[in-house]
Amino acid sequence: MLINNEFNEQKIQSPLRYIWLIFKSKNIAVVAMWAIITLLMVTLFTPYIMPYSPTLQHPDMLLLPPYWAEGANPAHLLGTDDLGRDTLSRLLKGIQLTLAGALSITLVISMLGLLIGATAALTQGVKASIMHHLLDALLTIPTILTALILIVLFGMSYENSLLAISLSLLPQFIRGIYISIENELNKQHIIALRLDGARNLRLLRFGIFPNILEPLVTLLTRIFTMAILEITTLGFLGFGANANEIELGALISKSLELVYLSPYLVLFPGVAIFLIIIVFNVFAEGVRHAIIEGEE
Amino acid sequence: MFNYLLRRIYLLSITAFILTLLAFTIEHWTVHTQIDDNTFSHYFSYLNSIIKGDFGVSIIDNQPIFNTGLVAFSSTLELCFFAFIIAIIIGMPLGIFAGLDRNNGVDYTIMTIALIGLALPVFWVAIIFTILPHALGITLPIDGNISPIYEIPVVTGLLLIDSLLVTERYQLDAFLNHLTHLILPSTVLALFLTSEIIRLTRHAITMVMKSNYIKAAHTKGLTRWQIVYRHVLKNALPPIIHQIRLQLSTIISFAMAIEIVFSYQGAGMWLFASIHQGDYLVLSAALLIISGFILISSIIIDFILVLISPSKRKSLYADQ
Amino acid sequence: MALLDIRNLSIDIITAQGKIRVIDKANLNIIDGSIHGLVGESGSGKSLIAKAILGLHNENWIVTADRMFLGNIDLSKLSSRARRKIMGTEIAIIFQNPRSYLDPSKKIFDQIREVLPKKSHHKRFFSKVVPKLRASEQQIIKELLHKVGVQNDQAVVQSYPYELSEGICQKVMIAMAIANNPRLLIADEPTTSMEAVTQAQIFRLLYKLNQLHNMTILLLSNNFGSISNLSDYISLIYCGQIVESGSYKQIVNSPMHPYTQAMIKTIIEFDDGVDHKGQLYTLPGSIPPANQLPIGCRLGPRCPKAQRTCVSNPEAVNYKGHIIRCHFPQLDDKKDANTPHNK
Repeated sequence: MLINNEFNEQKIQSPLRYIWLIFKSKNIAVVAMWAIITLLMVTLFTPYIMPYSPTLQHPDMLLLPPYWAEGANPAHLLGTDDLGRDTLSRLLKGIQLTLAGALSITLVISMLGLLIGATAALTQGVKASIMHHLLDALLTIPTILTALILIVLFGMSYENSLLAISLSLLPQFIRGIYISIENELNKQHIIALRLDGARNLRLLRFGIFPNILEPLVTLLTRIFTMAILEITTLGFLGFGANANEIELGALISKSLELVYLSPYLVLFPGVAIFLIIIVFNVFAEGVRHAIIEGEE
Repeated sequence: MFNYLLRRIYLLSITAFILTLLAFTIEHWTVHTQIDDNTFSHYFSYLNSIIKGDFGVSIIDNQPIFNTGLVAFSSTLELCFFAFIIAIIIGMPLGIFAGLDRNNGVDYTIMTIALIGLALPVFWVAIIFTILPHALGITLPIDGNISPIYEIPVVTGLLLIDSLLVTERYQLDAFLNHLTHLILPSTVLALFLTSEIIRLTRHAITMVMKSNYIKAAHTKGLTRWQIVYRHVLKNALPPIIHQIRLQLSTIISFAMAIEIVFSYQGAGMWLFASIHQGDYLVLSAALLIISGFILISSIIIDFILVLISPSKRKSLYADQ
Repeated sequence: MALLDIRNLSIDIITAQGKIRVIDKANLNIIDGSIHGLVGESGSGKSLIAKAILGLHNENWIVTADRMFLGNIDLSKLSSRARRKIMGTEIAIIFQNPRSYLDPSKKIFDQIREVLPKKSHHKRFFSKVVPKLRASEQQIIKELLHKVGVQNDQAVVQSYPYELSEGICQKVMIAMAIANNPRLLIADEPTTSMEAVTQAQIFRLLYKLNQLHNMTILLLSNNFGSISNLSDYISLIYCGQIVESGSYKQIVNSPMHPYTQAMIKTIIEFDDGVDHKGQLYTLPGSIPPANQLPIGCRLGPRCPKAQRTCVSNPEAVNYKGHIIRCHFPQLDDKKDANTPHNK
């Protein structure tokens, strides 16, 4: 017997603490967490980390390869582009813009989505049904099309592309939240809470929210991943960031004609996008597993 | 069953109504037509012309937009179709393996593949793929749907069928040429789709494996594969199909991005080119064509779901 | 002769907080041709024992046993292939909530057909084509369903599980369980959440199977009253330990363990005249969670007769086939006057 050789107090850990305990035991997820913290730090302190200004041109050093390749200059770790601008600095700047955009989109969507989703789930009648059909209609429009429409309507700029992406991802999030709240509402403990006289807000806070953590994490990761992909796609297509804003997708499209001369210029931003998404997904998967195990 | 059909069509018509409203608004906003006296009569005349299939004429080539759009979108559908077949052939078995043996080496390997497939931005992979034939020294076309040497009249809009219709002139050459043009773009799209299908299949299979009737099947003395074949697959399929239905618009969205990289003449390329030349009428047309397709196909999928899963049939009576 | 002989079965479950022992050295000895009742509160580990016998456990369970024999088959050393062979033909199980144990997307007919005695491959193939073979299967299924008391077999075999009531589903489950005439039938709380009439039907059915087909039944229940009349032998389990085990007579007429006595007192006998507004008898406190077990005798904190010795774990003692795990068993000569069954 492991535990009953001494007097045990009945200890009940708080759910969050318990989830954290389980999460800590998952090595890959913890590594991913540190990677995210590093990424956030890089995003916050980009101007101090960058070795050069991203727009500074070195006319004597054009199209340098990264430091491990032949003919590299150690002053430019990842080489330079066709105008002699430092690739590393441009990459960091691009990560900053893209990541900041994706994070703010995720934040805005999660707030608005939770609000609208919860209202839709908790109201009945005409209001809910109008909301429902509107959502259904919006869900059938592909995100890129929505983004294109909004950009044409409001003009081309990075902010507008962010707005367009938020609006196109919002229905997906609302639908996800709505479905998970709806599932939760049919359960017995919610009925018990209602019979106790709980108002909707209390119902949400104590009855529903703690139980939809797992789908919420999944949805948020999904939204974040999609946001990164859409921002870079729009940037790549030339509908997002304008000429003097550096964004990962735009970086790729600008180096596209140089792809045979210096493939690194296309490679690095793509790898950066890939790593950002991987890191966030691994972290979220760790959290999700911890929540599931904690519930069991 | 008939009631269910009616109910679905009723819901569809409401959604379609909202979509036409959206399209109407967009058209008026972008083209800046004056809505002087009566918005209603404007809307109804718009609706009338839509039903006739008249979306106006393109300012670029003076062709009716609706026809150009339909042909372009059918090319997109061809792309999606091929990607889908590849994804199902690869993704389903992998997802089933991962779902059956959870939390061991096989599962982790498969899920890593799926995660990589999700995390790679499609347009970037598409660029890499355009360099690939050059780097590997194979000859695969990387732009367009078909070599411009073939003149193919538009009959059905689907190039696969149209190129088969001209066999007396080119034999199978045109058809094969079109197929080789499809290989690279559909592989890129399949990369994303496969990872989605692996994820969905694994989730569905795990859910079914946890259920009580699988435990009961174990006590019947069935072998593992008998259980999978007789009990797991049939119950796991409906949620997978349902999820794919919800992802249709995402898939089309990715397909459009890929088309632009490969200059594949599909809906994405059409929109991209038209917007760059200031022809904003295409927006509302594209909205109606693509959304209409997704609406109709989701209803068809709903029907298939009801047909293949008997427990859905029960809920169909319950929630009326 | 013992059909099922289990010695010192222990089950540990690995959780985030470490290993938790949920079944502690359980002994179970089931005589061939008898009905053996296993009674315990919910959470005491009855179902775990049943699952361990069947080998249905998850990966995070550690099952250890000194001896686990069904007849002359060693259950603890079975390969999965050999285990599949004895499933259905030697052991069968029926569960609580039977509807969830039926495949929702298949008709009852196909589900019963699965468990019919195995045929060679080509026969199975031909049975889809040749109507005669299918007809013979239909005949067998019809007989099976009649045996378990389903009257309108035609309608039932053509339905999906969600179209049937829980009672019918349980009868179908029983039909599937007995299709191959297993030697041991494990019934895991077969009547939970059923109406009283259906409950009685199911119990009568089980009793009939035992009497007519000489089927050994291990009956798990949390209600002492409902199964005690049915069982030839009864074991009581509390917090993963079997506290008392013996024949019906021994347990009901001379219960020795305080927990058994409490259980017997909980059977309300209206002819004895329950006082108006009189309190019904229960033990104080509630069953502790598996990771917070008290030291020593697990009933200790709730036991009305606990003494200082009870802080050490009692060993199982055998009085002429009547096994108890208590420091101060109530032996026959000094019976408590309050026990209602001490005539």
